[in-house]
Amino acid sequence: MSVRLRGTESAIQIRWIPKYTTLERFLHWVHTATFIPLALTGFVLFAPFLTPVAQGEAGAHIRLIHRIAAIFFGGVPIIYTILQPRRMLMNLREFLSFSRYDVLWAKNAIPYYVLGRHHDMPPQPRFNTGERMTALVMILGTLTFGITGLSMWFLKSIMPVFLYQLMVFFHDLMFIITFAMFLVHFYLAVIHPMMWQSLVSMRYGVVSESYAREHHAMWYYGERRAKEMWEQRHSES
Amino acid sequence: MANRLAMYIDTSKCMACRGCQVACKQWNDLPAYQTENRGTYENPPSLDHYTYTRIRFAEYDDPERFQWLFLKEGCMHCGEAACVDVCPTGALKYGPHGIITFERDLCNGCGYCSQFCPFGVPHLSQPSPLSGASQLTGLEGQIEMARASALDGLTGEVKSAKCTFCQDRTVNGLKPACVKTCPAGALDWGDRDEMIAKAKARIDVLKSQRGFPQAQIYGETELGGLGRIYVLKAPPEAYGLPKDPKYPAMSTVWQKILQPVGQIAFGATIVGAITAFFVARRNVHMEEVE
Repeated sequence: MSVRLRGTESAIQIRWIPKYTTLERFLHWVHTATFIPLALTGFVLFAPFLTPVAQGEAGAHIRLIHRIAAIFFGGVPIIYTILQPRRMLMNLREFLSFSRYDVLWAKNAIPYYVLGRHHDMPPQPRFNTGERMTALVMILGTLTFGITGLSMWFLKSIMPVFLYQLMVFFHDLMFIITFAMFLVHFYLAVIHPMMWQSLVSMRYGVVSESYAREHHAMWYYGERRAKEMWEQRHSES
Repeated sequence: MANRLAMYIDTSKCMACRGCQVACKQWNDLPAYQTENRGTYENPPSLDHYTYTRIRFAEYDDPERFQWLFLKEGCMHCGEAACVDVCPTGALKYGPHGIITFERDLCNGCGYCSQFCPFGVPHLSQPSPLSGASQLTGLEGQIEMARASALDGLTGEVKSAKCTFCQDRTVNGLKPACVKTCPAGALDWGDRDEMIAKAKARIDVLKSQRGFPQAQIYGETELGGLGRIYVLKAPPEAYGLPKDPKYPAMSTVWQKILQPVGQIAFGATIVGAITAFFVARRNVHMEEVE
């Protein structure tokens, strides 16, 4: 896919590389649009100054919104698995593959994202270490929320009391983890100056060639070539 | 707690007339409803949102004789109340005189109190009193109740309910309705220490003169001291009471540990991201950004 910049006859051509399918982008935004209300309605229980919102009829409505949003939130991975099982498996396999380059990524993440030092950043596949960790936490979170949430919703009068109490605990613990992670994800994807194309890619499904080369060299050049280039660059310096 | 009040319950005098159940419903304006005979005089089948107190019937075959035991059930008004600690709305509170008060308007129906109470006392209304289904009778009422019950299961639109020691009476110097009505003299109300002394004196009599060697007090020390002081003729298990009720550890973990940890985590993440943004804006050269 290539686009000619409007108003210029010749010069700049940007090659756009597809990263996400239309369904993936649509479901990502459904997930976002349900995660935020879920988090906010759950957050009511974490902030003492919001207690009035949790009380009485307001609280009953908050709980109702939480349940309605939860249905769609839980529906996202199910729909994805049914409609694009191969893509789902492919992504899952990529999320689960880690190498020594991920250790190097973790070492260089702060110098790279905070101080803008590009040089030592190792090549990354289609999803970098941070993206993969985010994805895995979200998958684990969705599973935990599903199991604990549905139990608290439908099995309250049936399940042993101690088990119910554990469900409340893990639901809350997972909320702390996923919501903190969501804040980081939001910062990197929407606010961080270097990552401006991540929002573009979730809107249009594509990233530019230069962006792919910079941030996902193993995907762009292929794993072997990217590693060779990186080793070479390192031996030179 | 200074001036803590308590209910004295002498199970050796109780004759299970269940006048207390009726008086409770009358004072608290709780409707009665049709139940089915389950082969026991015990009725309704359990505490519920319309039944704050109930006489539980238990059969106890001790080595000496067969006993038919009557236990007045209801909120124990614990000194260390898990329900108060888990209630996210403040509907349940430590009120005056050690009474665990309940403010129905604040309750949002989350049901944590019913799941964390060591005695399983608070019950959620189902169907919702808002639906009006409980006003109907006959087949139409049953169908409407079932429909509303299913709907409330989905929406969670319910309210908790429990005995409040008739807080509107007791804070004004009156006795709870059940105590006032008890014709057998099995119930009394007053200063907690006096009730404990009375219970101990009664237990001495039961042991020495009435042939109940297993007679014992219940509620003096359990869970920070209960608001109900029971005189039991047999071990608590025979009545279906937990011998050594425990404050559920999870109720502390949830509000006192997990929630502050959450607040700190969210705060630190936001502050960290904002700081990182300003540092990155200074260091990242946009002309190099791909």
